Amino acid sequence: MASSSTLKNESSSSTEEMNLSTLARATSLSTGLALRTLHRSITCKPISCSSTLYSLTSINPKTPLFLRSPDFTATLSDFQKWQNWAKTLALSVNSSFKDSDNGPDSEILLRELSWLIEDALENPQSLSTGSQVEVLRLRADLGDLYTLWKQRIEIRRPFQYIVGCEHWRDLVLSVEEGVLIPRPETELIIDLVCDVINQNVDLKGGLWVDLGTGSAAIAIGIGRILGDTGRVIATDLSPIAVQVAEFNVKRGVYLGENRRPWAVQLIRAVSGDSVTCEHDAVVEPAKISGEGDNSKDGSKDDELKVSCLYPTFQLKYFDKDKIAVKQGSWFDPLTEFQGQVAGIVSNPPYIPSGHINGLQAEVGRHEPILALDGGENGMSELLHLCNGAAFMLKPGGFFAFETNGEDQCRFLVDHMESVYRNSFYDLRIVPDFAGIRRFVTGNRT
Amino acid sequence: MSSMLGRAYRRSCSVLSRYQSISTLFQPPSDPQSTDKQQVHVSGFQFLSKNAHGFSSVSNKRLNFSCGSSLINTRVSFSTLAAVEPSTSDGLTVDAIVAKQWAILDESEGDWKSHASAIAQSIRLIKKRLQWEKLKVRLEMLSIQMEKPDLWDDPVLAGKISREHGSLMGKMKQVNGLEQELIDHIDMIKLAHEEDDPDLESESVKALLRMRQSVKEKELEALLAGEHDSCSCYIEVQAGAGGTESMDWAGMVMQMYKMWAQRHGYGVTIVDEMCGEIAGIKRATLRVDGEYAYGYAKAEVGAHRLVRISPFDSAKRRHTSFAAVAVTPILGDGSHHVQINESDLRIERYRSGGAGGQHANVTDSAVRITHIPTGITAACQNERSQHQNKASAMAVLQSRLDQREMARQAQINAHYTQSLTDNSWGNQIRSYVLHPYRMVKDLRTNFEVSDPDSVLEGEIDDFILSFLTNSMDKENEA
Repeated sequence: MASSSTLKNESSSSTEEMNLSTLARATSLSTGLALRTLHRSITCKPISCSSTLYSLTSINPKTPLFLRSPDFTATLSDFQKWQNWAKTLALSVNSSFKDSDNGPDSEILLRELSWLIEDALENPQSLSTGSQVEVLRLRADLGDLYTLWKQRIEIRRPFQYIVGCEHWRDLVLSVEEGVLIPRPETELIIDLVCDVINQNVDLKGGLWVDLGTGSAAIAIGIGRILGDTGRVIATDLSPIAVQVAEFNVKRGVYLGENRRPWAVQLIRAVSGDSVTCEHDAVVEPAKISGEGDNSKDGSKDDELKVSCLYPTFQLKYFDKDKIAVKQGSWFDPLTEFQGQVAGIVSNPPYIPSGHINGLQAEVGRHEPILALDGGENGMSELLHLCNGAAFMLKPGGFFAFETNGEDQCRFLVDHMESVYRNSFYDLRIVPDFAGIRRFVTGNRT
Repeated sequence: MSSMLGRAYRRSCSVLSRYQSISTLFQPPSDPQSTDKQQVHVSGFQFLSKNAHGFSSVSNKRLNFSCGSSLINTRVSFSTLAAVEPSTSDGLTVDAIVAKQWAILDESEGDWKSHASAIAQSIRLIKKRLQWEKLKVRLEMLSIQMEKPDLWDDPVLAGKISREHGSLMGKMKQVNGLEQELIDHIDMIKLAHEEDDPDLESESVKALLRMRQSVKEKELEALLAGEHDSCSCYIEVQAGAGGTESMDWAGMVMQMYKMWAQRHGYGVTIVDEMCGEIAGIKRATLRVDGEYAYGYAKAEVGAHRLVRISPFDSAKRRHTSFAAVAVTPILGDGSHHVQINESDLRIERYRSGGAGGQHANVTDSAVRITHIPTGITAACQNERSQHQNKASAMAVLQSRLDQREMARQAQINAHYTQSLTDNSWGNQIRSYVLHPYRMVKDLRTNFEVSDPDSVLEGEIDDFILSFLTNSMDKENEA
């Protein structure tokens, strides 16, 4: 812990001037932070985990709840007992979290509860249709469901860690402690990139990098819209993030524009490989899993055709080679691509250190500080990324960074206009859907 | 008369349950091993194959009319269709059978004349419901357009025309097939009688009886012949004035539709819901996915009135509250009436306080979209990602804009103004009385039920079908 305190001093001074020579220093800084995070998580562990399922020491990323096999059973009445208990607990919160730190109120918690049920039950419709099933098949033990919901309310463990996934755009990504839960605001980065590559074929087929990828949300989102030759390299300093990112690249789930229950059912039937659903269709699940087994040994971009009652349904495996995950700080793993990168995107830590203590409990107590703390004014990493962008992007290359809001956006644009005069053009500040100026984008001259 | 209505309703329920068995096919079975689920599948298929069998005789007959018809000479074959009215060897036509007014006896009475008369009546009703004369004129018009050599210069319009032509042609052939089938059966019976072949005669009478039963179902199908009837739809419920009591009522109405839709095996999703502070909902939008969801649900448009002792009134007084219901069809891709321009949209995240971004862990990513030129908005907060909320809200917005455009066009074509979809949002259609007596009564048809509980649990088919029958038949008389 001694090392981390010295690092903290360093981090407060690191905003003074950022140029290319600080690249190396920033690396060691981030490593220190990573250690700090690990220490933190480990000290937290006894409080948060009574179930071994969720222990933080395990190396393999966990399969999200909704993809686990339904190996557990509960009687309808036992399940409803749990449901009523969970409901009462959610209602008891009222607006107390909201009042204290802008956390969720009862209405939101009740919706989360219905999603937890959706993920935990093998056949969620069986509850609503009133069919008289006596025994329900579950993807987690009922006792674990008690523990999980207790964690949600009593220690404010984020819902996404409870169910082990976050729905982000049309993806379902695995997340767990140690990895930042991708935010809804960040979804817009994909739209920004989409607009850019639709106007520029060269960028569409180029190399894109997602720095500090976390769950690989942005990397996968971009990977899906790039052209045939386009590819993405995602980097992250945290070993947990790298593992989760790799898991998502290999086994992430794409729901498609028109999410329908049977599409999810279908994905469950072939879970084990990432699949994309090209059409909505009605399929007999038995048939899919049968054929799915046969073609699992197939390499990238396999197509799995499934006979069905509707138009031909195709399952496409992700082209896994399109997205690579590398461990390392920011640009460190990318030195060989200097001046060749078509696009740089990042949602780096940008919360000023002084704000960390007052964060919403779900964030401050459970999410990795490495992914949140942006130094004294929150700009340390962002400035570093701007400097790197000047250095890594090829002419015409595009960048998009998420920020804490208007002040950081303005600061960055000023910085780029003054320090890198004529190096960038088309610098823009883009608001999120809540109207907060959230992103800075631009192109390399 | 009342017994006939009763029969029609029983029949209608069987039609509905049939739709249900089809739509269960669309839901993946929860457990592939589960045997009773598989039985549902099997029975569904059985129905399909039974139906296919029933049709096979029809399609054989159809060959007589349609062989050799191609795009170019459709009009020729169409004219032949209309010109040659099927008649028996001794010149009896379907209209002539109706005119003879043979007594219609119970199905169990083996009298062929009674069967034939019932079938002829049904065919006449089907024709009336399909607006036969208008349909013929429209088909003629479409056929002329189909012949134009420059038709495919505008592929979108051409596709529309050829789709409509195909669909009308199908209806016409089906009815003509029914007429021919009836005539053939009668010929066969007469022949058997002349040849003194009792086996053949009883066999033919049985066939006629089977036809009598199947044609009754087609009467109901003809009710749902509207352009968008087969679409999925949104049902929107909004609480009237009156605070908690009316919000609670709106919540009960929403629940009624949810259970109705689930009972029919439709997919049910709450897209947008704004809860009341104490109970119920201020408004909610329900997406109902499945065949003919719109065709049925459109009968529910209007204001629904509740009379009861309010559980929210400490003085235990009787309250009257209203909930308004709107229904919009979800048109398939390519058949939208309005092209939405991205730049006309304002997309907002709502209920998001604070700094957002990394500061907040949220599972709520509610999105509201405003179409600036019209001021029409749509919101969604029940999806698990902002992107999906946006997509859902866009779909709602699209269907609202489509409906607005359709209403506008309908106003231009004045003849359409009496149609079902024009029932205004504020028009009171049904009264639910829980106190001092118990009754649900439809103010449009006077159809009533003395068990409000079952209605509120989603048993509204009888109301829907009585309204559809009533208004459809009234409309055609006008």
